[in-house]
Amino acid sequence: MPGVVRLSIDSDLNQVEFIARAVRSLCDNLLGREDAEAVELAVVEAMNNIIKHGYQGRRGEAVDVNVTLTRSEVEVEVVDHATPIPEHIVKGGEPLAFDFDATDLAGLPEGGMGLTLIRMSMDEVDYVSRPGENRLRMVKRIAAR
Amino acid sequence: MTLNDTAHGDVLVVHVEDSRIDAARAPEFKTAMTERIDQGHVRLVLDLSKVDFVDSSGLGAIVSCLKRIGPRGNLAVAGAKGAVAKLFALTRMDRVFPLHASVDDALKSVAG
Repeated sequence: MPGVVRLSIDSDLNQVEFIARAVRSLCDNLLGREDAEAVELAVVEAMNNIIKHGYQGRRGEAVDVNVTLTRSEVEVEVVDHATPIPEHIVKGGEPLAFDFDATDLAGLPEGGMGLTLIRMSMDEVDYVSRPGENRLRMVKRIAAR
Repeated sequence: MTLNDTAHGDVLVVHVEDSRIDAARAPEFKTAMTERIDQGHVRLVLDLSKVDFVDSSGLGAIVSCLKRIGPRGNLAVAGAKGAVAKLFALTRMDRVFPLHASVDDALKSVAG
């Protein structure tokens, strides 16, 4: 049953939904509903970050997504050729949970939640940046049934 | 992005008819909601019962609506379920927006 599916879209926020739906349906038979939804969220957040921050909204660039299915896990690797995520953010500069004052209306976060959500949603996350190429690898383990 | 309104006294219920509020749709959603707020609709119920996916950009747009309303009114969320309710919980925004099972429950909470 193990297999690899390679998907690619243009760096356009309107196309992220296609990847989301494709990854979701690949996961549906392997993961429970909640875990499949978690993977969908992580993939969408990763792609949004690449398009909004990495490519700064510039279209016409490729964002590649490789989905590897095994008996024990779903691995999603997102590959781009954009500006990498700043190192201080990758190195745990972002909190692992959301901590803000819910009574401070003006101070409520409206953004910057993506990477934390990815880490909360997946079992393993790592990010490798080489000149001209960034790879975000995210793993969701398949729960024993 | 399709939004339909129903008025209940001084509360405006905004029904989101799309299944997703994501980064592609968030700017349009925010603009449409801001128009309503700036027209004086400061007691709002956002009906998410038809929505099955919200990302952090969509959530950020909902938060920005609450800020726009400020101390003048309130914004309650109704019908969030599955992945949508989970996002509010994960980000702890469920402390800011109590999630109401139905529009009727939400109406009680925002009515002055």
